[in-house]
Amino acid sequence: MPSKRIVITGLGPICSAGIGHTQVWNNLLAGKTNIKKEKVVVDDELWAEYFVHKVDGFNINNFGIDRDALNYIKEWKEGEEIVDLNYLLAAVKLGIDDSKLTPKDCEKHTSLVLAHENLNLMPLGIKICQLAYDMLKSNTDSNISRKEFLSSIYKKFLKTGYDAQTFMGLFHVAKTFNIHNYSLFINNACASGLYALEAASQIIRSGQSKAVIVATSDHTDIYKYIWFNDIGIYSPDGKTRPFCKDSNGLVFGDGGASIVLEDAQFAKARKAKIYAEYMGGGFSLEGWKVTAPQIGSQSYQNTINQALKNSKVKAKDIDLLVPHGVGSGPIDYYESKAITDTFGKNPTKPLITAFKPYVGHNLGGAALLETIILLLCLDNKTVLPTLNYSNPDPKLNISLVKKATNKKISLALKACCAFAGYNAAAIFKT
Amino acid sequence: MANANSSLEQEIKQLVADVIGRDASELTTDANFWNDLGVDSIKAIEITVAIERKYKISIRDEQIPKITTIGQAVEVIQQALEKKNAK
Repeated sequence: MPSKRIVITGLGPICSAGIGHTQVWNNLLAGKTNIKKEKVVVDDELWAEYFVHKVDGFNINNFGIDRDALNYIKEWKEGEEIVDLNYLLAAVKLGIDDSKLTPKDCEKHTSLVLAHENLNLMPLGIKICQLAYDMLKSNTDSNISRKEFLSSIYKKFLKTGYDAQTFMGLFHVAKTFNIHNYSLFINNACASGLYALEAASQIIRSGQSKAVIVATSDHTDIYKYIWFNDIGIYSPDGKTRPFCKDSNGLVFGDGGASIVLEDAQFAKARKAKIYAEYMGGGFSLEGWKVTAPQIGSQSYQNTINQALKNSKVKAKDIDLLVPHGVGSGPIDYYESKAITDTFGKNPTKPLITAFKPYVGHNLGGAALLETIILLLCLDNKTVLPTLNYSNPDPKLNISLVKKATNKKISLALKACCAFAGYNAAAIFKT
Repeated sequence: MANANSSLEQEIKQLVADVIGRDASELTTDANFWNDLGVDSIKAIEITVAIERKYKISIRDEQIPKITTIGQAVEVIQQALEKKNAK
């Protein structure tokens, strides 16, 4: 029996370029990046300043999500708002609206796959640190026992700690949208979005569901910034410059993303708009270091080749490639090597363009968000140029798109080389 | 131990020389990878990969940027080998 064809019928982006695909596309065309300086001040003391691609005008109450469902979450969380979760909820709603899946479709035929690097974990850590500090300050005689201290903190964070378990995020989102079919939570660092798409396609191919909503998100916080800054890959001037001589690191980008995948027959039967077909993916775990790729390995090349093989397409037929493009020397070098090994040195085909200079690095949500932008390029028959690409590194032997190019794209490849060596590639066909 | 270290140092010099395309005799123990030998973050990873393969050891992520001279590399490798042999 031939394998089911998987098509994409809904896009739900939330990023610095806007909310919803129409606004996002218009702002991307205009080159709007919405980079702002984030100042973290604690008790009037400046802790850190760094640049972030920010989402403007986000309000979870403006998406038409069922009020009772939102209230349930609010009550469960005792008023605590988790921005990452709100981005997930909003992105899922945008994706459902765009795909025109009905509430009945969601309930009967739809599964949910969420991908996130650390949902709820950072807010929990920040709260614990703050409470611990307050307790230490107020306890001037320092006679508090370790047991008293630990049990007091544990009690206060029982709910928040429990909610840091990933199944709780999955539960809240699925419950909100009445999704009762298969559900899955995925975490493969920055490559999570592509792993999630592949998992979704397998859910459909297995016959478990006719449609799957895949959603991701990430919201910046100082702890993530400190980590990336300490290892020297956060851009001090807030400009991502992929594959450039003067690349100086990445810049975070807030937001969320959702993509709706469907069995092509189901999509056609309900006359859904089809953005593209998901052809297949390639995946590997290099597993060398957490923060650096193993230069000289073939892991990424193998991943791309596996995606080509699984999609039954040849490298020469790929029209557009969107790499990870983080703007960090070793990672850019590692990526360019995989690209030139696959497509030849200084290839004129595929066109190559990178989107992090527009929307920043959305970490666990990056691959999905950038896949949406890729799909918008396909839909609008326009390849967006790579911003900040004014000083290309000729040693990398690749050249990125410098100005918006009108072109019908038949086959596109999204690739990602994430921390810990999670490499992923996915192919889309129009 | 001094001889062992000296022999290890020669091996490291050769290994680094091969990666950066220089003659091993030009490399001194105290030469700074970044300032004197033109090692960048890409070459640093290539050197790390080569060291790990040759000695079958693992260098921690955070140690890599802190190794700035051949002498320091010898020290880190020596410690890793001792740890490995003690197991």
